[in-house]
Amino acid sequence: MSEEVNIVERQSIPQGAMIFLGFPDVGLVGVIAAEHLVSELGLVEVAYVDSKLLPPLIVLHDGLPHSPIRVFGKDKLLLAVSETPIPGDIIYQVMYALIDWAKKKDVKMMVSLSGIPIQDRQDLKELKVFAAASNQNVLKMAQDKGIETLSEGYMVGPQAVLLQRSARMGMPALALMSQCFLNYPDPEAAAEVLKSLAMVTGVKVDVAKLLEKGEEIRLKARDVMQRTQQEMTKMKKSQELDLPMYVS
Amino acid sequence: MAIRKKQPTRDIMDSYFEDLEIEFERWRETFLERPSWNLKAGTMEPLKDMKVTTTEVVATMDLPLTVESSLQVKPLDNETLEISAKMKRTVHFEEFGVTHHKGEFQRFHAHVRVPVPVKIDDMKIKFKKGLLEIHIPRKRGR
Repeated sequence: MSEEVNIVERQSIPQGAMIFLGFPDVGLVGVIAAEHLVSELGLVEVAYVDSKLLPPLIVLHDGLPHSPIRVFGKDKLLLAVSETPIPGDIIYQVMYALIDWAKKKDVKMMVSLSGIPIQDRQDLKELKVFAAASNQNVLKMAQDKGIETLSEGYMVGPQAVLLQRSARMGMPALALMSQCFLNYPDPEAAAEVLKSLAMVTGVKVDVAKLLEKGEEIRLKARDVMQRTQQEMTKMKKSQELDLPMYVS
Repeated sequence: MAIRKKQPTRDIMDSYFEDLEIEFERWRETFLERPSWNLKAGTMEPLKDMKVTTTEVVATMDLPLTVESSLQVKPLDNETLEISAKMKRTVHFEEFGVTHHKGEFQRFHAHVRVPVPVKIDDMKIKFKKGLLEIHIPRKRGR
């Protein structure tokens, strides 16, 4: 299946790196966090996703075409980020390709940065971050750092495929999700998820600038958020709010 | 033994059509492609959301960089609100890296159509950290 999606390397990728993922989702938490990581850590594009399954869309930077889904990196750190929502009907193919590629690169761990929508978000002063993982060891690592486990419930979108396939392939993968707005860009939630990422992986960035620029980010992220809302509706993202029926 | 008043067919039908209207509105907004800005008016359209509960309609809107004192929420009729707010600074296309359009924006502007009968004059407004929340009580019956 993943043969329909290629990861094209622009430069040599080291073995044994860690890979983070920031894809458009609730509150654009992953994308905002990823954008901050790229600018704070000086990451450069090292690979990109090429596929005829993607919409006929390129992202222009300085007049040159780029894939909307790119991998940035530096030393032993990789970050996959998408500048446009991934259509629900090709999430499996894109994620399988990325996970298979990560496996070939003997990636140490994959960490998805995302959000979990909460009602009355605007009234919350402190946002909690929750974790789910592909295996017990990774989950314990997050628990040991004081991150709460998302014990029961549904997960929809790229991180769902990440955990499912990584579990099957025996790869360590973690999903970090901060409480956030469902339909509005949430830089505060992105800052919280980055703090938890630092606790788990040791990759630290200053989030003060991210919070300072919060309103500017919300203004500039409107259109991506709007498109993401449309994709989330199509893939029935609201199922994450359903109460699960526990089957032991 | 208590006798349940009303409820049956008409209420069920009302509720069904209300849900249908909400879905249609969502569908219309999803599929009607248009830019989120109006160069001629110098306005940007904010992200918005709406929730209909049994007692009220709650419309929210993300209005970053808004001058709170300039915020206006005006009923145009019994089911439409016009929201307008001045931004703290003028926003230019260049800030988005866009050089093939020229222009600037000074205000947010949006219309919100409420899908169920409401007491629009009784609406209450909350504005916190750039997020506008409008609570409008529902009218009983149609």
